[in-house]
Amino acid sequence: MNPGLSDPAFWSRFQFGFTLVYHYLFPQLTMGLAWFLVYWKWRALKTGDEKYNEAVRFWAKIFGINFAVGVVTGIPMEFQFGTNWAGFTRYAGGVIGQTLAMEGMFAFFLESAFVGALIWGEKRLGQRYHFLAAVGVALGSWLSGFFILVTNAFMQHPVGYRVESDGSLGIDNLRAYLLNPWALIQFAHNQSAALVTGSFVVAAVGAFYSLRGIHRTEAALYLRAGTLIGLLASLLVAFPSGDQQAKMIARHQPVTLAAMEGKFVGGTNAGVAAIGQPNVAARRLDNPIEIPGALSFLANGTFHSYVHGLNEYPADTWPDNIELLYYSFHVMITLGSIFILLMAYAKFQDWRGRLQSTTWLLWILMLAFPFPYIANTLGWVTAELGRQPWLAYGLFRTREGYSKVLSNGDTIFTLIGFTGLYFVLGVLFLYLVGRQISLGPGEDAIALDVEKDQELIGTSDQEQFV
Amino acid sequence: MIATWYAVVSFMLIAYVILDGRNFGAGILHWFVAKTPDERRQVIAAMGPLWSWHEVWLVGFGGSLVAVFPRLMASAFSGYYLALILILWCLILRGISLEVGGHIDDRMWQGLWDFVFVFSNFLLAVLFGAAAGNVARGVPLDAEGNFSMPFFTNFGVRGHVGLLDWYTVSVAVFTVSLLAAHGATYLVLKTEGPVQERSARCARYLWSAVVPLFVLISIESLYVRPGVPAQALHNPVCGIAALATLVSAVMLISGLASRREMRAFLASNFLIAGLLTTGGAAIFPIMLHSTLAPENSLSAYAIAANHTALVLASVWWPVGFALAIAYFIFISRRYAGKVSVKRDTQGFY
Repeated sequence: MNPGLSDPAFWSRFQFGFTLVYHYLFPQLTMGLAWFLVYWKWRALKTGDEKYNEAVRFWAKIFGINFAVGVVTGIPMEFQFGTNWAGFTRYAGGVIGQTLAMEGMFAFFLESAFVGALIWGEKRLGQRYHFLAAVGVALGSWLSGFFILVTNAFMQHPVGYRVESDGSLGIDNLRAYLLNPWALIQFAHNQSAALVTGSFVVAAVGAFYSLRGIHRTEAALYLRAGTLIGLLASLLVAFPSGDQQAKMIARHQPVTLAAMEGKFVGGTNAGVAAIGQPNVAARRLDNPIEIPGALSFLANGTFHSYVHGLNEYPADTWPDNIELLYYSFHVMITLGSIFILLMAYAKFQDWRGRLQSTTWLLWILMLAFPFPYIANTLGWVTAELGRQPWLAYGLFRTREGYSKVLSNGDTIFTLIGFTGLYFVLGVLFLYLVGRQISLGPGEDAIALDVEKDQELIGTSDQEQFV
Repeated sequence: MIATWYAVVSFMLIAYVILDGRNFGAGILHWFVAKTPDERRQVIAAMGPLWSWHEVWLVGFGGSLVAVFPRLMASAFSGYYLALILILWCLILRGISLEVGGHIDDRMWQGLWDFVFVFSNFLLAVLFGAAAGNVARGVPLDAEGNFSMPFFTNFGVRGHVGLLDWYTVSVAVFTVSLLAAHGATYLVLKTEGPVQERSARCARYLWSAVVPLFVLISIESLYVRPGVPAQALHNPVCGIAALATLVSAVMLISGLASRREMRAFLASNFLIAGLLTTGGAAIFPIMLHSTLAPENSLSAYAIAANHTALVLASVWWPVGFALAIAYFIFISRRYAGKVSVKRDTQGFY
């Protein structure tokens, strides 16, 4: 734990963390949205109702922009295993290489083969193949999520490996590795959370149109689907997947759980802090207001069970940023609980047929869409900071894993580049998605532009091109 | 087993080069073969729906490389740090330019993204070419299998080399011409009208330029890696691949001369695959040659993952690959024939 800014591991961590958090803003929407597209396309095939096809066309454009940014920001993630984390790749590549390769072969090929068809190909493919393309993209994106979560689960809870003669790890049991219980629970938790993001975005666009009194049919469709899936997915994130995730951490990473709760002294009847700031130097939580017994219950299923405190463990096995870990976890939990209440009430109003007339609720639904992104990000911050100081939990420390051949000059240079490039990408993304949403479904963006041009110029300016 | 996996990983990379190489090539020629906005949309549409499908072969290659030769990935990727990150940035710009250019039908907007498209594709061809030159020449690997390379040192090919020297730069020039020729051949197949006319002319000029450049880098390679040709003579794969390259060259010439577009394009693919296979087989089993001391070189036998990993991968990899072939057939059938700007768009116009 070298705290200085001259620490090369810090810069590689910073770059990986930054590029990963940024990257994951896009797949969480595409993974969530993909099943909306499948559902609407299926309804369009079944009922022949053109409003479903309009919904697919509209959301496919937004999906496409997200997908493109997701692809281009995703490739640096795989490459950084080699560029910045050569020590780790040398150590564990013999294991995690299996799923990194499977992700390419089984998920990315499927996804990328059909995404072009989904976004560009309706006219070329016809309706039936267009539906198949939507299914292929949805399956591919979820498979890719699975393989990368198996990879991450190995870092959290290494299984199925053996230690080779040179000290590095090699794969030993592929089944145990792929069916790592940590991976399965994390997959359920993460994919439900992606559906939360997708449904909040769909509902927000519905609320936006409804508040402006435009695209009424579409607004109703988006609000109905968004609140239904939003409620179900928010519930699934908390229970059973989030609950199981907490129990898993309590069992395999007790020191992480203690850090997430800022609990320095272990005890029975352990509480969850509703308020309080961790004070690591003094080894206590300042001005705590606790819900007694809650942590014991979450971790072990009974109110009186014993929960370990950080003081029971040597400080060099503590996560190295307890404060950020604590806040990430608490804000995530708070947001998750609010999502359930909001979506439950919205669904209730929808069921009573009053959602479109409850203006204040529509406002909240419209403005709520950034929060699932925040909650997803904080969830990942919790998972990855909680894993520290290990790269592979209990086996291999983060400070051994970075590329020793890189100078800080190399890493800071590329970090600056990534920051600038990703800023431009972000502006571009917001502009294009915002433009698409303001044009709305059923409107042909380009046709509008052309019309506008022609109104301004009076005639077509085609001849100037030839 | 290890030789087979060497072949598989090389195959993934070669597949990437011929699939995305056409996009690099078409991108480099974008301004020269397409003059009007409509013609430029034609070029974009020729790759639009498929660029991510092509790019993903690079990810497939990277994944397979970690699975089978994790230590090579660790050494090479950290050593080529700056070049690889530049490649990543260019891939980002290229993908974005393809994707967002068609969103707004505005001359300035599309002009901007056309520029980004041409620039990033050109730089990608240069960088991948220089990277190929680096693999052929070798890198300053130390005894622990690490190296770190600045962009340039003294532009020489021995000792502490940099990414760019007279040899890797000439390989980059060769690569740019080769991929541009490949892209032109692809555009002849996919487009009609003036774009096709200009592409056909470009293809003829560029393929004629490829021949002397190839002779040049062959002679240079003899000087840079004197031991390799003797080794290649004992490797039957080299002979077969060289023969395939020659046959492809003949087919290419006949395809271009007789305007059989499909024949020319297939021949172009096989020609590039043949060239790369010849090179890949010639350097086997050394995956990364050390310019400091030959004993530091990374041999496929020394850096492979454990036996279990290779056996497991031999089970699931063919399944994944068979699926990829199935998608490939689906795509090739669905997207066969000339592109039409009206039909092959994202639905924005």
